[in-house]
Amino acid sequence: MDSGKASKITRRSFLRISAGAAVLTGVHVPKTARAESAGSLSTLIDLSLCDGCADRNMPACVQACRSINANKIPQVAENIPEPWPRKTIEDWSKKQGVFNRLTPYNYLYVHRADVMVDGRSQTLFVPRRCMHCDNPACATICPFSANHKNKNGAVVIDPDQCFGGAKCRDVCPWEIPQRQSGVGIYLHVLPDFMGNGVMYKCDLCNDRLKEGKKPGCIEACPRGAMLIGPRKEIEAEAQARAHQINGHIYGQKENGGTATLYVSPVSFELLNQTMTKKPGQPDMKPGVKRRMAGTDPLGKAVLASPVLGLALAGAAGWFSRRKERQARQEEDRD
Amino acid sequence: MTEKILSEKNRVVRHSRLELIEHWAIAISGLILLATGIFELPVAKRYYIVTVPGLRWTADFITSLYLHYAAALVFTAAGIFHLAYHGMRGETGLLPKKGDLSASVTVIKSLFGFGQEPPMHKYLPEQRLAYAGMAWIIILLIVSGLIKTYKNLYAPDLSLAVVLTATWIHNICFVLFFLAFLAHMAAILLRPNWPMVRGIFTGKVRLDYARHRHALWIADLEKTKEPLIPDRDLRCGKV
Repeated sequence: MDSGKASKITRRSFLRISAGAAVLTGVHVPKTARAESAGSLSTLIDLSLCDGCADRNMPACVQACRSINANKIPQVAENIPEPWPRKTIEDWSKKQGVFNRLTPYNYLYVHRADVMVDGRSQTLFVPRRCMHCDNPACATICPFSANHKNKNGAVVIDPDQCFGGAKCRDVCPWEIPQRQSGVGIYLHVLPDFMGNGVMYKCDLCNDRLKEGKKPGCIEACPRGAMLIGPRKEIEAEAQARAHQINGHIYGQKENGGTATLYVSPVSFELLNQTMTKKPGQPDMKPGVKRRMAGTDPLGKAVLASPVLGLALAGAAGWFSRRKERQARQEEDRD
Repeated sequence: MTEKILSEKNRVVRHSRLELIEHWAIAISGLILLATGIFELPVAKRYYIVTVPGLRWTADFITSLYLHYAAALVFTAAGIFHLAYHGMRGETGLLPKKGDLSASVTVIKSLFGFGQEPPMHKYLPEQRLAYAGMAWIIILLIVSGLIKTYKNLYAPDLSLAVVLTATWIHNICFVLFFLAFLAHMAAILLRPNWPMVRGIFTGKVRLDYARHRHALWIADLEKTKEPLIPDRDLRCGKV
């Protein structure tokens, strides 16, 4: 969609139009927009509906998320061991109230995007959290497999296995996971030389999903701006909503595809311009590549390498037998 | 395998060209796997390895993964080749034999001046034991590595139990492989083993050394006039 068209619609009228259009065209919240499904789930965040809970001190989704995860981090060591030789300590235990960025105590925040579209200003609110990627490098190359993608699509860090090396944050294009030093298994191994805490991020309320409940943020949203449901239904819903508003989708192709789809009336290029990538505040670069995709051809060659070894052994065996047979024949002739 | 006594040159052929290629393919790719395996841990920035000229790439886990995969391709193919090729040919000279454990103790004691070394075959008893240990470590590394690679490519949501098992087998065998490599290097430092070092580069060792230390092997070779007869046939008593 061309951003010019979007600019002719005010935010409030857009909300009305999109809601009305949804009713008229039969586009609806998927019946199965619940979490009981055993298959792969996706979530939808409709930026045309989110108003950032302007009437509250803290957006309802953020508040629900914080409330559900309030006791997730155990008591932080009084004297956090100083890592050697690089002495980085990330301690958020005394700044637990921060909610304008991702922290180990805050897995969701809402970014306010003031954009100018064809000379007219618009304000959108963008809830930001883990995207729960289809093939998440944060999980697949975690050295201890402390981070794992579940069948339902939730990418979940096990705090009992995580050493807090922050590799997951380094390989995430949005640098989502956040570290709390002074907690976790590393304290019981070699805290000065190995590990530095535990990484925390949104786990899509995986425990609630198991109980058939929705993630806290989705349940709490007063505007119904977030949905969860079977992947295909959510994808169809995102397409339908984007089509209705002549809008844009983010998360379908980014980092190789994710289980989080944003629908926006404003292009993500414009939204991204309002985001300066900072620690705990990811940007939203459209089309961001999955870097590990480059290694896939070599990975496939590795999977084929046992066959290569067997083929070479067969060929070498045939040649060496022939050589020995020839040697014996010459010997017999002599 | 082409074992041959070259009396006029005071040499005996200990390893064929193919065996040398196998050894070095596994050794070099194994070392690259060790290094890139370490760089798959978040150590490069923490330990300032990135500040060493030429090692800036070590902080990039994806670059290390490219190298790790490339080395794994060679390592796996060479490992499978080794098992299949020598298995097909019935070449079992490196497999442990009964009594190797006690013989190893005798040999190791003799290296430190306690007692006499017994006459030995082509491979020393402790070499055979080390080979078996290393073979198991390599097999486990390959199998767990293949599972992890499959997960990276096709099944990021593979069963957590399978993923954790493969991960911990890979991590533990990584440490064992490193220790085995150190032990291999330590064996080279022992003076009586020095003449064998030439063999792993050129395929040949000194005949006088072999007569002295590998008397049983040389006796086997000298039983036959024809040097081209395979080792397997010698062991099977076909000549």
